[in-house]
Amino acid sequence: MEAFFQTYGFLLVYMCLQALLGLSTYLPLMAGQLSLASSGFYAIGGYVAAILSTQVFHTSGAYPIGYLLLETLLAGLLSGVVAVVVGIPALRLRGIYLALATIAMVEILRVVSLNLSITGGAVGIFGIAQPFSSPLGYMWLVGPLLLLVMFFAYRLEGSRIGRAFIALREDELAADAMGINPTYHKVLAFALGAMLAGVVGAISAHFLNTWNARQGTFDVSIAVLAYVLIGGSRSFAGPVLGGMVLTALPEVLRPLKDLRFIVDGLLLMLAAIYLPQGLANPNWLARRKTAPVREKT
Amino acid sequence: MREKALSILVLVMLGTVSAQKVTIPIPIGVSVAQTSNVALLGREQVIGAQIAEQFFNSQGGINGTPFKLYFEDTSGDEAGAINAFQTQINRNKVVAIIGPTLSQQAFAADKIAVEAKVPVIGPSNTAKGIPQIGDFVTRVSAPVAIVAPYAVKAALKLDPNIKKVAVMYAQNDAFSTSETGTFQDTVKAQGLEITTVQKFQTTDTDFTTQVTAALGTKPDLIIISGLAADGGNLVKQLRLAGFKGLLIGGNGLNTANVFPVCQQYCDGVIIAQAYSPTAPGSLNAAFRTVYKNTYKREPSQFTAQAFAGVQVVVTALRALDKQKKLDQWDLPELRVALMKQILSGRYNTPLGPISFGPDRDIIQESNYVAQIKMDADGKNGKFEFLK
Amino acid sequence: MDLLLQSLVNGLSIGSVYAIFALGYTLVFSILGIINFAHGAVFTLGAYFTYFLIGGQNNGTGLLAGAQLPFGLPFPVAIILGGALAGLVSVGLERVAFRPLRARGADPLLALVSSLGAGLVIVNLVQYLIGAEILSYPTNVYGHWAEQHPSLNLGTASFPIQIRTVQVIIFGVSLVILLALLYLINRTKMGKAMQAVAENPTTASLLGVSTDRVILFTFLLSGLLAGISGTLVATSFSISGPYFGLAYGLKGLAVIVLGGLGDIGGAVLGGFVLGLAEALVPGEYTAYKDAVAFLLLFLILMLRPQGLLGRRLIQKV
Repeated sequence: MEAFFQTYGFLLVYMCLQALLGLSTYLPLMAGQLSLASSGFYAIGGYVAAILSTQVFHTSGAYPIGYLLLETLLAGLLSGVVAVVVGIPALRLRGIYLALATIAMVEILRVVSLNLSITGGAVGIFGIAQPFSSPLGYMWLVGPLLLLVMFFAYRLEGSRIGRAFIALREDELAADAMGINPTYHKVLAFALGAMLAGVVGAISAHFLNTWNARQGTFDVSIAVLAYVLIGGSRSFAGPVLGGMVLTALPEVLRPLKDLRFIVDGLLLMLAAIYLPQGLANPNWLARRKTAPVREKT
Repeated sequence: MREKALSILVLVMLGTVSAQKVTIPIPIGVSVAQTSNVALLGREQVIGAQIAEQFFNSQGGINGTPFKLYFEDTSGDEAGAINAFQTQINRNKVVAIIGPTLSQQAFAADKIAVEAKVPVIGPSNTAKGIPQIGDFVTRVSAPVAIVAPYAVKAALKLDPNIKKVAVMYAQNDAFSTSETGTFQDTVKAQGLEITTVQKFQTTDTDFTTQVTAALGTKPDLIIISGLAADGGNLVKQLRLAGFKGLLIGGNGLNTANVFPVCQQYCDGVIIAQAYSPTAPGSLNAAFRTVYKNTYKREPSQFTAQAFAGVQVVVTALRALDKQKKLDQWDLPELRVALMKQILSGRYNTPLGPISFGPDRDIIQESNYVAQIKMDADGKNGKFEFLK
Repeated sequence: MDLLLQSLVNGLSIGSVYAIFALGYTLVFSILGIINFAHGAVFTLGAYFTYFLIGGQNNGTGLLAGAQLPFGLPFPVAIILGGALAGLVSVGLERVAFRPLRARGADPLLALVSSLGAGLVIVNLVQYLIGAEILSYPTNVYGHWAEQHPSLNLGTASFPIQIRTVQVIIFGVSLVILLALLYLINRTKMGKAMQAVAENPTTASLLGVSTDRVILFTFLLSGLLAGISGTLVATSFSISGPYFGLAYGLKGLAVIVLGGLGDIGGAVLGGFVLGLAEALVPGEYTAYKDAVAFLLLFLILMLRPQGLLGRRLIQKV
């Protein structure tokens, strides 16, 4: 058992962090907004933590948790502000167009971070101070955060704002006619997701001990979208489950050696085809269903 | 009688709970990028390590005890490298790890090994600050600072009229960004003028924008820091755009993989090498022969460095084995002793003689500058010694 | 002045590469309203197919290291056959990754995931079988003259405007492909059927158009285009490994949106606009070249979300 936690301690925490990233894409999707910007805010959050902890807060010994919490707060706030600035013009777009606009944002951020000296160019920032003595130690922070965000998402789905989000997803025109302000709610959903992604980035920078321009990329955006879609995009349980399963999969398949990513890809394909509702099928979550699940035809 | 049986039982039970012994064959971990778009480098490293495994085991392994390499793919990202290292340390119970491929991955994964007190040898991590990650980290890849100046001097010897220099580098590659800094410092120290610094990405294929901008400054010499595919394409496009001056390619172009890309246009490119296939020494000759017989071309620097990484671990294990047979060691104890032994040794590798300084960084005594000579059909070529 | 002209020529030449990559991409989008993430992988496969059909040997260290076909076809035959094989792979993908989803009327976004999975399988399979190594076409694939004249000077001796011959050939071929495609779509029965399905699948099938056949044909055509363009690009830059085509995937997305999603002419225009924009980045700022593409994309989306040539907002996803 101890050996298991030693080997997979990192993976377990990483699964939770990826689940949180999944949730950060799920939040705008709840309001019908297909945003792929999570990886961009994730990158911003990571840089905030990396720069603050290596250049501003000088400490010796274990890094104080308080500083880490302060970093996550600032990372979340900055991401939220950027999200509002980008979101107000961008969220007029719909569907695939919004997805592409957000990808454009991610890619611009990547190129800029490669060229700034404060972000360390290609090498990035390394030697980030550690608040915990082992990777598994991060579970004390990440575990409660995940539960908290899940609880928040659960409550949100049943709340007035959450119902407004879902109404926008189902039919924007009708929602507008019912007096739901589309712009306000879309930007709110987008900013909530962005803040969460920024927080996850800040924790991840410490967790990985290094941060660079390879962290927030198009590939990450697509991987996170796959978490939501494979997990199920109709309840908060979907992205959590999807994020965990898809993150663990390459490690579970490790014994297959050279074949592992071939099988990984096959499973991704099969899951998309045979689990159209996602792993977290709302039918077996029916008891806490808040909105009628409408089959698309 | 019963008491004796009981005490044996107690001893056996104690044995199982006490620290673990080293398993035979001795497990050594190799974790490099066998998948993802970094795999071109990772594959060269796997081959180097495999050649070393066969070579040293056929010599009797570690004084008669065989060793076995465990390959755990890191893929191209940081998390993948950490997962691979955890598997090596806790499941394969390796005595040391050779890896990972990228410096960025090293900054993430090496820390795990340091905490577990497992020696790590970076086969291709050239960024500043790698040995400083912790007590158990070293590398067999020289930071480029040493090689680059020789290449510039070699170019000046070939063409003393060089005045203006254009510099180009892959901005998304850690290796190239640190190398270009050294190149630029050298150029300035030589009293030459840098006319422009152009950046590209290792994933780019078309460089016409950068080529036009660089040639617009009428340089006499162009220095490129990149990897095989992008560097090769850049060389080709510079030549086809009419550039006639000398070209220097950084360490990343020190692989036969550039030959198919720039074909006849590779001819004459000066390469800064941390490894030369034609370097003297019987071990390099043996290594080169095995490689050439299987793959029909010259071994690359990445291959030689991975070989050297395995060699360093094996040599150090042999020395420890002479002190106390390896199967008598407890694993944690051996790992700690191994790191000490690695750092204190001097090794005659295909890279030439290497040792480690007090800062745990590599001291590589021989560096080479070569010029590419392509065959008449432009399909294959070789690196010809300049210094 | 000569620098500006040189930049324009550069822009047109790389633009034509973007354009031919994007053509097959946009074709599938116009019919199904989905983005096929496996397109880059099919593009890569086409380059590999042609390489082996002309008798090339595998320099890679994969399972099939050193393998070679017992025959070598002439390049013009090989590129079409290689394209056809890529077309078949594309049809296979449609059967395996897209049709089951469509049959169920699933969320179109799921097609994005299943094609992502398919692309992952293809890329890693190539890596497993062939290897990660770089493969290059011989310099004589475009004949003796092109081999002797690898670059052309479009200017004068004192004001040279250099362009690589391969780029001129790619430019020419992509124009031919575009014209053929426009003819096929506007003048043939199948083309009209494609337009009808793109407009409204239900109405089209009521009018007697076999939707399934049209979709199958679209994937065949998209794969064929990807395969041929993959080969063309590889003759210019070599096959840099299994990830060769994926590097174009992201830019390809930008291109098809710039021109107008699902619009054939738009994809070509988008390719040239992007190529020119990148080429005209001043020398001091080439570090930001990649950001230019996406800044342009972002601005276009803000000002004219339907793209340069798009007539209306398609809301399929």
